[in-house]
Amino acid sequence: MKSREQEYKEIFIAEALEYYDALNRHISELEKDPNNDGLLAEIFRLLHNMKANAKAIGYIQISDLSHKLETAFELIRNKELAFTDETVTVLFDGIDLLGELINNVDNEGYQVADENIIRNLELVVENANEQENGGDKQKELSRSAKYINAKNITLSDLVYIQIKKLDHLLNLVGELIIDRDRILSISKELNHSDLAAVSAHLYRITEDLQYSVMDARLVTIGSLFNKFPRIVRDIAVAEKKDIHLEVSGQDIQIDRNILQIITDSLLHIMRNAISHGIEPADVREKVGKPKVGNITLSAQSDREMVQIKLRDDGKGIDLADVRRGIVQKGFLPADVVKDLRDSEALSYIFEPGFSLAKEITEFSGRGVGLDVVKNAIDSIGGRIRVDSEKGKGTTFTLHLPTSIAVKGALLFEVAENFYAIPLMHTDSVVAFETSELHEIGGLLVAEIKNETITVIYLNEFLNGDPGTMDLGSKSRLKGLVQNIIIVTYNNRKLGLIVDKLFRQQDIVVKPLNKPVDAIEIYGGVTLLGSGKVCLVLDVPAITRYFLTKK
Amino acid sequence: MAKEEEATTGRRDLVVEPVIHLIVFKLGSEEYGIRIEQVKEVTITPEITRMPKTPSFIKGVANIRGDIIAIMDLEERFKITPVVEEYDSLKPKKTYTLALEAKDYTIGLIVRDVPQSLSIPVSRIDKAPAFIQDININDNFIEGIGKHEGRLIIVLDIFKILTSEEVQQLKE
Repeated sequence: MKSREQEYKEIFIAEALEYYDALNRHISELEKDPNNDGLLAEIFRLLHNMKANAKAIGYIQISDLSHKLETAFELIRNKELAFTDETVTVLFDGIDLLGELINNVDNEGYQVADENIIRNLELVVENANEQENGGDKQKELSRSAKYINAKNITLSDLVYIQIKKLDHLLNLVGELIIDRDRILSISKELNHSDLAAVSAHLYRITEDLQYSVMDARLVTIGSLFNKFPRIVRDIAVAEKKDIHLEVSGQDIQIDRNILQIITDSLLHIMRNAISHGIEPADVREKVGKPKVGNITLSAQSDREMVQIKLRDDGKGIDLADVRRGIVQKGFLPADVVKDLRDSEALSYIFEPGFSLAKEITEFSGRGVGLDVVKNAIDSIGGRIRVDSEKGKGTTFTLHLPTSIAVKGALLFEVAENFYAIPLMHTDSVVAFETSELHEIGGLLVAEIKNETITVIYLNEFLNGDPGTMDLGSKSRLKGLVQNIIIVTYNNRKLGLIVDKLFRQQDIVVKPLNKPVDAIEIYGGVTLLGSGKVCLVLDVPAITRYFLTKK
Repeated sequence: MAKEEEATTGRRDLVVEPVIHLIVFKLGSEEYGIRIEQVKEVTITPEITRMPKTPSFIKGVANIRGDIIAIMDLEERFKITPVVEEYDSLKPKKTYTLALEAKDYTIGLIVRDVPQSLSIPVSRIDKAPAFIQDININDNFIEGIGKHEGRLIIVLDIFKILTSEEVQQLKE
């Protein structure tokens, strides 16, 4: 992984070289059309940007030279200096030197070969000023060696690429992986040593390819995080609040499209934190908190995942309010809400139509709820959770995959059909004796690690006749021991009884095509090495299904 | 286009009419046809993965050349009673799948026998009789009734086989 500094440097060089090419183009045109103000303005703009960028990253030579060129062009623009032969030569030389400096930023021992170029630039400016002041002490320009013009043509080391092209590349890699797995399993069946060697090699190459393409799509989280200080300032000003924002983990890398998808979500949570989380200064002082509200935005990478945390030290979410809200909005009856675990009650803030905002401000509470945030995170196979303590603050944690293409999944069988569940949504796998399951209120329930969890017999749920479906009867279960996959979604757990567990495997999820794309419980399909089609279950949809049933 | 056809085939037939190329297959005891332009390919039915929670006429999804498409049984869709054949459990009968290209997706149709291709002059295709059109169930998909050497072929319009209502039904 490259350091941030190295990356900035490469971007600077690529941009500077682009500017340099544009400068060359414009100055050549200007030579033919010296009165073109548009060209002059453009040259001025390019030099100005170059100066600022170089200064920001610490390339003083480049920024100084840009500044001198800029001064000369300013005189030309103000008609104080004529764009004539001698001046033209000096300016061309100056721009050439600029190009050379850019190409040699990495070269430690580099010395400007011809100081005369810079001297001449200064003289041109001095002479013009002298003339302006009525003096006639014109200084002779020194002749610069024309060695620079014997330069090579160099092309930039960086290419810009449309994200669309990278998307396409990634899709192709996905297809390739499916075929690779296919070949691998055929080779195992045939037990042919040459084929085994070739397919093992193919495996390594495709794996390399997959990671290279995934790597090409990675950007630093900083590219999003660094926009927040300004945004936070604007919201804080509008809300008349004092906010101190601390950002960390900008170096963590993540797929560009995933970052794109969560941008609005993060902004939404940030607005909520400032508008509803952080109390006004006087209130904060009264409860003994510092006047300035603290918000931290941090990223951490955790194996194949990236965790983004947004924490505020505001008033927190009042669980009593949430419980009241659940009843008021008709999600659950009051007696059920009473027994809800705190984390489960809190998860209702992600339900559509659930809002605790009492007033609408410019930035928050305009009816766009956290459910939209949740859907965005779900769509990329991520998870979101919220922790809050009344009076202390609220933390939103986003677990995101670093890449969209390949997901770890658990494969299993139900009624001779293959299914997969992304690992992102699996909590654990347990085996339970049928006698340990209990029939309660039309559903099966098990006591797993001190938690009472609803358990569903997938075969009955998927293949049972809707008329006679009975998810609450143990009589439908086969065998004495049940394999249960515990899935989690939105702080809620659900057990799924499967017929046979297979293995954990990386899969490439393909979307379902019309007309079967509208069936919610499927997140897509994947092809197994055997060529079999495997349905990928959508855990959010299945848990939602049972919540509405409850 | 009609002119070109006249030029090439006109030598044999004095009066040449535009023809429609159909892929013809049997459902129940009747013959049905689909315009050849709407048929992407015909293959032996690959292994189908059942897809629970879909209407019974969706048999599941199958992998056809890397594309995963839904497979539909028109006999069930139209509620046509299949012709009972002698069932030989040792040799399960092969079926065929027509991959059809609807506007923005591909769907597979299962048929029992090898589909054939057939050209019928446009004039030999009649509009579906009014009383059939009145029946709500399958009026929309019947483009016309073709007659060819004593055979009667029901020409289907595949774009309408899955009506919006049914797509809605799929959602639930």
